[in-house]
Amino acid sequence: MSKPITFPGYGLGLRSPHYQNFLEHQVPVDFVEVISENFMIEGGKPLRILEQVRQKHEVSLHGVSMSVGSAQGLDQGYLARLRTLVTRIEPLWVSDHLCWTRTTAHNSHDLLPLPLTMEALEIVCANIHHAQEYLGRAMLFENPSSYLSFPEDEMTEARFLKEMVSRTGCYLLLDVNNLCVNAHNHNFDPLEYLEQLPLSRVREIHLAGHTPGDIRIDTHDRPVCGEVWALYEKVVNRVDGVGTLLERDDAIPPLPELLAELDCARDCARKVKQETAA
Amino acid sequence: MTSLATMQNQMIASLVGEDAIVSGYWSKQQQAGLAVYRNNYRTATIEALHNTFGRTCRLVGEATFTRAAIHHLVQHPPHSWSLDHVGQDFCSTCAALFQNDPEVSELAWLEWAMHCAFTAPDVDAMQVTAFAEATASFESDAWYELRLRFTPELTARVVTHDLIALWQQTATAQAALPVGKLSASHSAIVWREGELPVFRLLDNYEAGALQAMMGGASYGDACEIVLAACPADEAAAAAGTMLSRWLTDGLVVSIG
Repeated sequence: MSKPITFPGYGLGLRSPHYQNFLEHQVPVDFVEVISENFMIEGGKPLRILEQVRQKHEVSLHGVSMSVGSAQGLDQGYLARLRTLVTRIEPLWVSDHLCWTRTTAHNSHDLLPLPLTMEALEIVCANIHHAQEYLGRAMLFENPSSYLSFPEDEMTEARFLKEMVSRTGCYLLLDVNNLCVNAHNHNFDPLEYLEQLPLSRVREIHLAGHTPGDIRIDTHDRPVCGEVWALYEKVVNRVDGVGTLLERDDAIPPLPELLAELDCARDCARKVKQETAA
Repeated sequence: MTSLATMQNQMIASLVGEDAIVSGYWSKQQQAGLAVYRNNYRTATIEALHNTFGRTCRLVGEATFTRAAIHHLVQHPPHSWSLDHVGQDFCSTCAALFQNDPEVSELAWLEWAMHCAFTAPDVDAMQVTAFAEATASFESDAWYELRLRFTPELTARVVTHDLIALWQQTATAQAALPVGKLSASHSAIVWREGELPVFRLLDNYEAGALQAMMGGASYGDACEIVLAACPADEAAAAAGTMLSRWLTDGLVVSIG
């Protein structure tokens, strides 16, 4: 089973309003990330565009529907489609979320939270083992944003992730925005969370914006806020060889605006590394 | 059933059901979070239907469309991993909801067929010259037994309204009802030319012949369908024109 490479670059989520920019120009990013499911199709224009972009950039495949937390196991048809796409694109990383999205009867099309129990851990690990063996590669799993917790929780999310990594050999995608959202929604200290996380297994970081409120919502519809940038500084000071990706899925601005925001991530990481070295 | 499976069934039921969140299973704190997920679910799935059926939405109006979308989602909760599949059977939902306005379900069918054609497998259509070469030595028996393979996304149905006019009218602005009804029922076919989904209207006999051959019938069987619908002295020319059009449209992938 192949391991995910270290790739300390800076990337953007590839979204349809920017397809032409990526096809016609040399966009200054080190990689792009696409939502896997949008390209798990049989043919047509979207796949042609992705293949053309792949000729110019490294591509990471980020899924939202694997549902590794499903008690009834994985959808084999889904896995087959994903494997076809992986073979076609030869991505940097293949990632999804620590969550569940479906039962055998219905699909929520949302990243739903898991109770942090031993029972859930065993189910998640069995599903991850199955997915990684089928794909022939270790995957990255992202800490999800969540809006409810379970009284039956037996461990923290960071502890759950650490155990999951240890049992399956998978890697982590650390979404700093989700960490910030969850720290507020579930009233915990994000720095303590980072202390518990096996940061050496992080291969990618996500940055995005969220909607503030009594319950913070992970909307990806605005720039990264100051609180997330501050947390990003703490994270990049603790990791090495990790890629950073800026996500925007709604109210998508012109590409130069996102590139400027990505430059902020580069500057932030550079500044932190320089200060640490000094 | 495991406790995790029980929780997941309860949560999915709370998200996709028509009624408000059932409080018995969830604490007050959890219900607040569940409301966020329920809103996310509704927003994402209705938006997916909007994206696929933009013209149908413009035809019936935003509020009516949203009510139809919610009804569809309650009747057909999504089961596929792809949000793109949420629109499966939406034309049937429209047929039931708009029984006096069949153009609504016809337009919804057309949008769904175009949507599916957009990401259908890539295949190369058989060129007219290649077909001519392959059939150059055909005797009448060989023509009768000729079978064709068609582009995989090709689909057809009978329609009663002028979908060409309706497609144009609903491209940007809301169309005013009623929309032109065809003098006689026709059929519509949808396929993809290169990367672009396209459609055209055709006589029902041609659609019947096409669907028969898509199901494995021979060209001779298709000609029988044409003969039953056209005057005898015009049937041979009509069958030839029909086959020629299928080739020039790029519907045929190969012989056999």
